[in-house]
Amino acid sequence: MLTEEARRAVAQLKKADIVIGIPSYNNARTIGHVVRAAQAGLAKYFPQLSSVIINSDGGSRDGTQEAVLKASIEDPRLLLLNTPLLPVHKLSLPYHGIPGKGSAFRMIFAMARELGASACAVVDADLRSITPEWVDLLVRPVLHAGYDFVAPYYHRHKYDGTITNSIVYPLTRALYGLRVRQPIGGDFGIARRLFLRYLERNDWETDVARYGIDIWMTTIAIAEGYQVCQSFLGAKLHDAKDPAADLTAMLQQVVGSVFTLMREYEHVWRKVEGSRPVDLFGFRFDVGLDPVPVNLERMTKAFLTGYRELREIWSLALEKSNLEALAAVCRQAEQNPRGWRLPDDLWARIVMDFACAHRRMPVERTHLLRSLTPLYLGRVASFVMETETMISSEVEDRIEQLCLAFEAAKPYLLERWDSVGKSQTAPAQPAPVEVRT
Amino acid sequence: MIGTLSEILEQSLQRLATTAKTYVPPLLAALVIFVAAWLIATVVRAAFLRLTKTAWLDRFVVESGLSSLFGRNRPLETAPLVAGVIYWLILLVGLLTGLNAFNTALTTKMVEAVVFLLPKLAAAGLILLAGVWLAQYLARSALIWAVNENLPQPRRIAAAVRVLIVFVAVVVAADHLNFARTVFLAAFLLVVGGMVLAGSIALGLSAHEALKRRLAEPAHSGDGEEKSLWNHL
Repeated sequence: MLTEEARRAVAQLKKADIVIGIPSYNNARTIGHVVRAAQAGLAKYFPQLSSVIINSDGGSRDGTQEAVLKASIEDPRLLLLNTPLLPVHKLSLPYHGIPGKGSAFRMIFAMARELGASACAVVDADLRSITPEWVDLLVRPVLHAGYDFVAPYYHRHKYDGTITNSIVYPLTRALYGLRVRQPIGGDFGIARRLFLRYLERNDWETDVARYGIDIWMTTIAIAEGYQVCQSFLGAKLHDAKDPAADLTAMLQQVVGSVFTLMREYEHVWRKVEGSRPVDLFGFRFDVGLDPVPVNLERMTKAFLTGYRELREIWSLALEKSNLEALAAVCRQAEQNPRGWRLPDDLWARIVMDFACAHRRMPVERTHLLRSLTPLYLGRVASFVMETETMISSEVEDRIEQLCLAFEAAKPYLLERWDSVGKSQTAPAQPAPVEVRT
Repeated sequence: MIGTLSEILEQSLQRLATTAKTYVPPLLAALVIFVAAWLIATVVRAAFLRLTKTAWLDRFVVESGLSSLFGRNRPLETAPLVAGVIYWLILLVGLLTGLNAFNTALTTKMVEAVVFLLPKLAAAGLILLAGVWLAQYLARSALIWAVNENLPQPRRIAAAVRVLIVFVAVVVAADHLNFARTVFLAAFLLVVGGMVLAGSIALGLSAHEALKRRLAEPAHSGDGEEKSLWNHL
C-alpha cells in the first residue's frame, strides 16, 4: 500500500499525533494556500502535538508538488504565538494504484496508521477559502470531544453542490437517519479507530478509489455507529473542477457508491425512520459567495434529449406510474421551457427506483448510472427555476422539503426493494410522448 | 399368356409383400416411437411447468440483461421457454429413433447428419445469442455516451454499433457451421473496409477544419457555458 518513498518518510518521521492529508492533481494554483493554512492551523491550535502535512499527488504536471514543498508561513509572528512550536513536517508523495482521490486518501490513512496518528484531517487542494481555523474545527472534536468523524458544514452558493443537494444529502439522510449536510464535502476529520476501519476494508479498488470516496467514508461512519458530528467551516470557495473531468463519470462514481453501500448496509437503513440532527461545532455566520453560473437551456435540452433517447433504459428501472409522471413533466418542459417542475416526491421515487434497479440488474448497473445524468440535469434545471429569486435561507428550506419528500418515500423504497427477487414488476411501457429539442 | 400375366402379378404382389414386410413394421415402430416421444414430451413439459421452480433462472435472466434482450417491455418467463426446449428436444430424439428403426442407408445417413450437426447448431446458436447480447450492451453504452456527449443522432450511432456486432456474430457463427464461409467473410471485410474508408474520407474532408480549430483552442471547452454543466458536485 505504501510506496518505498513513503516508507522512508515514515521511518524518518517515526511519529505524528496529527496528520493533515491533501490529495491533489494539478492544483499548483491553490495548494500553496491550503498548505499554509494547514501549517498555521497546526501551529496555532495544536502547538504541542507533532504533526505532518501529507500531500498525496496523482501525478501532477503543473508543479503542484513543488508548490507544496515551497509553501511556508512567511512570518510566524502573525500567528501571535508564545509557546514553543514543534515543527510541522511537509511531505509530497505520489500515490500508486487507480488514479483518483480515493487512492490518495488510502495512502494518507496508511501513513497515518504507520505514524501512530490519533487524528487525521483531509482537505481538498483546490480550496480558496480554507483558513487555519478549519484545522481546529476538523481535528479538535476528534481529539477533545471523542468524535470519530467530523463532516464539514459550509455555506455554499445555492447552485453549488447540486449532486449533494439533489441526491446524496436527501438520500443518505432518509436512509441512515442522520442529517449530515455535506456528506461529500471533501474536508473531514477522522479518528484513528475509524481510519483503521477504512484501511481494513477490501473495496478500495472500486469507485471508492475515485470520487466515491467521500460518501463511502461518511456512510461507513454513520452506518457502523461511529460518533459523527459536523463543524461549521464558513464558505466553501474552490477552483472549478478539472475541465477534463466528466460529469457523468463523477455522478456514476458518487451515486454508484451510495447504491452499493445501500446493499451492504440494508440491515441498518431498513430499521431507520425519519432523521435527527447531528451535533454542529463552530460559530455560524453568513458570508458572501461566488456566483455559480448555470445554463438552464442546456440542462433542459439535455433532460428532454435524455427522455427521448434513453427512456427505454430508464424503463428498466422506473416503475410504470413514475415513468408516466416523468412523461408528463417532459410534456410540460417542452411546452413551457422556463416554467416546468420535476416534483420532489417524483424525484425521490425516481432515485429510489434506480437504487432498486441497481441491486436487481448487476449487468446493467453502468448503463443505469450513466443514464441518470440527463435526469439529474433535469432535476437541477427544475431546482434552479424554482429557486431563482430565493435567498440562501429560503433555498435551504427548499432543500429541507426535498429531504422530507425522500423520508416520506422510504416505505415506497422498502416495498420496491423487497419486491426484488420475488415477483419482478414489469418494466413500464413508456408513454408515447413526442419531444422536440 | 395368362400364365405370364399371372406370373408377373404374382411377382408384383410378392414384391409388394416383401416391401410391406420390410417397411411397414419399421414404419409402425417409428410411429409408435414418435407417438411415445410426443406423449413423454407433453408429460415432461407439463410436469416441468408444474413442479420446477425457476425463480433463480428468472433472476439470472434479469440480472444478466437477457430479459431485456428478448422483450424489453415484459420480463422473460424462463419456465415456458425451458419447457419448450425440453419438449422439442424429446420430440427430436423420438424422431431420430423412429427414423433409425428403418435401418436403411438413407435414414442412417440422415440421423448421422442430424447428430453431427446438432452440437454445431447449438454452438452457433450460442454464438449468435452472445453476439446479440453483446450488441445490445454495447449499443446501449454507445447510446448513453452519445446522449451525454450531446452528439447528433445518438440512436443511429447505437444502431451502427449493434449492426456491426451482430454482423460479426453472424460471420463467426457461419464460419463455425462452415456455411457460406467465404461469402460472409468477404462481406465482413467489405463492410469494415468500407466503414474505415468512409470514416477516413469524412474526417479528411468534413471534420478537418473542426479538428484543426479544436486542436488550436484546447482551453476553449473549459470556459464559460461548458463549465456550468458539470460544476455542481
